[in-house]
Amino acid sequence: MLEIRDLHVAVEGRPILKGLSLRILPGEVHAIMGPNGSGKSTLAHVLAGREGYEVTSGSVTFGDEDLLALEPEERARAGLFLAMQYPVEIPGVANMYFLRQALNAVRKARGQDEIPAAEFMRRIREQARLLGIGEELLKRDLNTGFSGGEKKRNEILQMAMLEPRLAILDETDSGLDIDALKTVADGVNRLRSPERAFLVITHYQRLLDYIVPDIVHVMADGRIQRSGGPELARELEERGYEAVLGGRLAA
Amino acid sequence: MSAGPAMVVSASRRRIDPDPSFTRAFAELAPRLPGSDRQEIAALRARSLARFTELGIPTQRDEAWKFTPVGRIVNRPHAADVPAEPPLERILPHLLGGPKARRLVFVNGRLVPQWSHVGGLPEGAAIESLTRALERRTEAVAARLARDDGRSFTALNAALAASGAWIELAPGVVLSDPVQLLFVTVPGASAPMSHPRVVLRLGSGAALTLLESHVGLEPGPALTNLVLEGELGEGASLAHDRLLLQADEAALIGKVELVLGARARYDQTTVALGGSLLRSESEVSIEGEGVECRLAGLAVPRAGEHVDTLVRVHHRAPASHSDQLFKSVVEERGHHAFAGKIFVHRGAQRTNAYQKNDNLLLAEDGEVDSKPELEIYADDVKCSHGATCGELDPSALFYLRARGIDATTARGLLIWAFASELLDRLGDRTARAAARRALAARLPTGALVDEHEDAA
Ligand SMILES: Nc1ncnc2c1ncn2[C@@H]1O[C@H](COP(=O)(O)OP(=O)(O)OP(=O)(O)O)[C@@H](O)[C@H]1O
Ligand SMILES: [Mg+2]
Repeated sequence: MLEIRDLHVAVEGRPILKGLSLRILPGEVHAIMGPNGSGKSTLAHVLAGREGYEVTSGSVTFGDEDLLALEPEERARAGLFLAMQYPVEIPGVANMYFLRQALNAVRKARGQDEIPAAEFMRRIREQARLLGIGEELLKRDLNTGFSGGEKKRNEILQMAMLEPRLAILDETDSGLDIDALKTVADGVNRLRSPERAFLVITHYQRLLDYIVPDIVHVMADGRIQRSGGPELARELEERGYEAVLGGRLAA
Repeated sequence: MSAGPAMVVSASRRRIDPDPSFTRAFAELAPRLPGSDRQEIAALRARSLARFTELGIPTQRDEAWKFTPVGRIVNRPHAADVPAEPPLERILPHLLGGPKARRLVFVNGRLVPQWSHVGGLPEGAAIESLTRALERRTEAVAARLARDDGRSFTALNAALAASGAWIELAPGVVLSDPVQLLFVTVPGASAPMSHPRVVLRLGSGAALTLLESHVGLEPGPALTNLVLEGELGEGASLAHDRLLLQADEAALIGKVELVLGARARYDQTTVALGGSLLRSESEVSIEGEGVECRLAGLAVPRAGEHVDTLVRVHHRAPASHSDQLFKSVVEERGHHAFAGKIFVHRGAQRTNAYQKNDNLLLAEDGEVDSKPELEIYADDVKCSHGATCGELDPSALFYLRARGIDATTARGLLIWAFASELLDRLGDRTARAAARRALAARLPTGALVDEHEDAA
């Protein structure tokens, strides 16, 4: 589904990703852990198509498409979703209206008709209820004045509505209280299916207790340094990056 | 060499002589102007024209006109009193205020009686066309026209004012339905000009929603030179929605000058969405305590359009509050100039005065000039002012696009989000709807954003 080969990315001339390779198959859940500044969000942004990142070499294919050649909206329509580490507040754009526009854009790309208003309302209410999002939050402007936790839930709500093929969650767990973590993880688990894959970026083993990954990667210095099963996350939690990676962790 | 000639030179650069057509138009029109049968009015008008000629057309050396080459746009031959009979269906979309609104409709400065109606007023309320007011309260109107504020366009207005209104509410009179003044311009072949004069007098505790619309029905040179002045008594309240929707090539120069008594409330929202030049001056003098004064404006100039907003708020009494929020969205070859000044005069302690000017500059060949100023002569005050000028937030654009929304729609949404805050300030629902339509027509994603409002 997603194939990243030897990806090198620079920001303002400074290399951040330095030869990253990763292969994700349909149905898989991958977790990426790694120290602050190791390039996790950079990877997520490059995959979603954010400006300001220079791909100096390497390739990314998504399905059978050259992902890096697509505009951000084309990537979203092709089924890529990024739950952002810092969702942007957009005053003046109503949350629900925005979501309907997004959903219809994605549906159109899939050859589906626009979603009827009543069905949209039914689905969004259902998803909001499951994620513990109040009606009032749906009516507010997009992320505007939302608490940290509310923003993260809202990201998951969007994911649930848009039904992507590949969802990248960038620290969706940070800033969540224990109950909210469970709610969000349940939201992700509900979407797990043989056709859908997840790339979960996190600092905490706790999230991976709820969303059990197939593969855990440890990223440092712009590269995946080690991969393993769920037990690798536990090892990291106990011993820390320094010990696990040994000499491979750049000072 | 003496200093004399040099001074003459620099003074002369601050003005240029008016086009002779203004004097010609006056000579031709004078016998027909309302009030001309009264000797003192005729003399007053002639004096006003002489004053206009003396003051001249300001150049950009004049600090108040620094950003606007007004002469280039309006100092050209115009014809006064040009008849036009637009069909009703062109007017209907601009009739605002709901079925019970009272209104006066002017086309090229002429009252259109069949579209105007001001009946059923409660006792103590008067809404009269300027012509009628000049018959019924000659001295009072003359006193207004005679006032010299040193501004040439005010003098020109006094000389030629044939349209406009006298609106007066006695103490305690509350008009629950809006009053609309609709000024329609139909340029035809003759570059018409009109000079509306509006006088507003609200007694203590009186309340009014005034919808002031300027509408151009087709492109072509034209000039509207408005003066709107008056007083709000103690505790009076005025919601003043202004829709400036001139057509291409037409110019509007307007001055609003109001005096606010204690605990008065004044809400002005000006939406400038069309015209080669929209010059909007507001001068508000707060003369009592506990006043709430809110001034807001949105300008969306493009394609050679020039919007110039000049605001002066004077705090002359303690413990009042004024708040200004002016925004612009400047598209290709658009120009927005904002100059706003808050004066806190001696003794106006415990004043709260705010001013904000936010501009969205969307094209490299657009221009924004912003000059917010404070002048404070009291020590116990809270004042702030600020101006911003920027592009659309790239991270917001990315966020929308990352959810599948195409770049054009995403931009349209963000522009709408920026601008619509101002439309929400319009006091009247129908004025809001009309402004939304006009704004949507200017934005690439017009239809879509209209739907946005319906959904919200
Ligand atoms: N726009 C930018 N301009 C300059 N430097 C940047 C930019 N974006 C990222 N970087 C740098 O790239 C490096 C990687 O940042 P990134 O956000 O990808 O780290 P991360 O692994 O997500 O860290 P965290 O765990 O703290 O979220 C950091 O050193 C960061 O300062
Ligand atoms: Mg990060």
